[in-house]
Amino acid sequence: MRISTKGRYSLEALLHMTLLPQGEYSSTRSIAENTGISDGYLEQLFIPLRKAGIVQGIRGPQGGYLPGRPVEEITVGDILRAVEGPLEPVACVTQNTCPMKETCISTHTWSDLYHEITDCVDAISLADLAAAYYAMDKMEYAI
Amino acid sequence: MKISTRGRYGIRLLIDLAEHASEDHVALASVAERQKISIRYLEQVAVILRRSGFIRSVKGASGGYALALRAQDIVIGEALRVLEGDMLVVDPPLPNKAETKLQRCIRLTVFDRLNDRIAAVIDRKTLASVVGTVDPDASYMYFI
Repeated sequence: MRISTKGRYSLEALLHMTLLPQGEYSSTRSIAENTGISDGYLEQLFIPLRKAGIVQGIRGPQGGYLPGRPVEEITVGDILRAVEGPLEPVACVTQNTCPMKETCISTHTWSDLYHEITDCVDAISLADLAAAYYAMDKMEYAI
Repeated sequence: MKISTRGRYGIRLLIDLAEHASEDHVALASVAERQKISIRYLEQVAVILRRSGFIRSVKGASGGYALALRAQDIVIGEALRVLEGDMLVVDPPLPNKAETKLQRCIRLTVFDRLNDRIAAVIDRKTLASVVGTVDPDASYMYFI
């Protein structure tokens, strides 16, 4: 049930971008330096992320990437779906390709799992992640 | 974020055995035929479930498998963890590997929460509730 490095690294890159002053472009190189994710891998991830409108890019020496819309409106679910593909744990939840679909009752379990997963990731926005990040600061100072 | 064929077929084997619990035991070949799963693969899955005590084998010419526990005592989450290794969305953090603050934030806010919610769903289901003569999940739905 693993989320791949595609999903994990995309979340890291986007949280990093969210923490920058608003409107500040970041190059994949600067994201790479700050996160330890390779520059080339980030370029690859940004292709589907851009297609999904999660990041927007500007070419040129001053160019770079910005979140594609307000960070309150980008959810963890959006990001994971863009790079990992559909989030259902078993294809039969949303597709009708399985010949057993009508009679197989295991589908209900997978479908409950799918709804729990989407409920969870669709409720967490990049803004929520950034708030959690700043709250960590406070907690660590308190300790 | 996928459940492997091992997990899927394992759960379907358990369901099939629960549905045929009135028979003393069930030949794996008939499960394979009903479920349209290759018998070779089903045998591998059966070994895992037998070793972990969910099912027992009945030897002999008319041998086969039966549940080793009552269906209401088989928690779907426990069976899935045996079949899948675990049901976590990321590897647990290693004690000797430093986690950056970004990674820690994402783990606490996303991955840990997701793991908890996945566990809650699969651990509240028993084989009996899935097979559904008494389905607490379904009756819960009616109340809403």
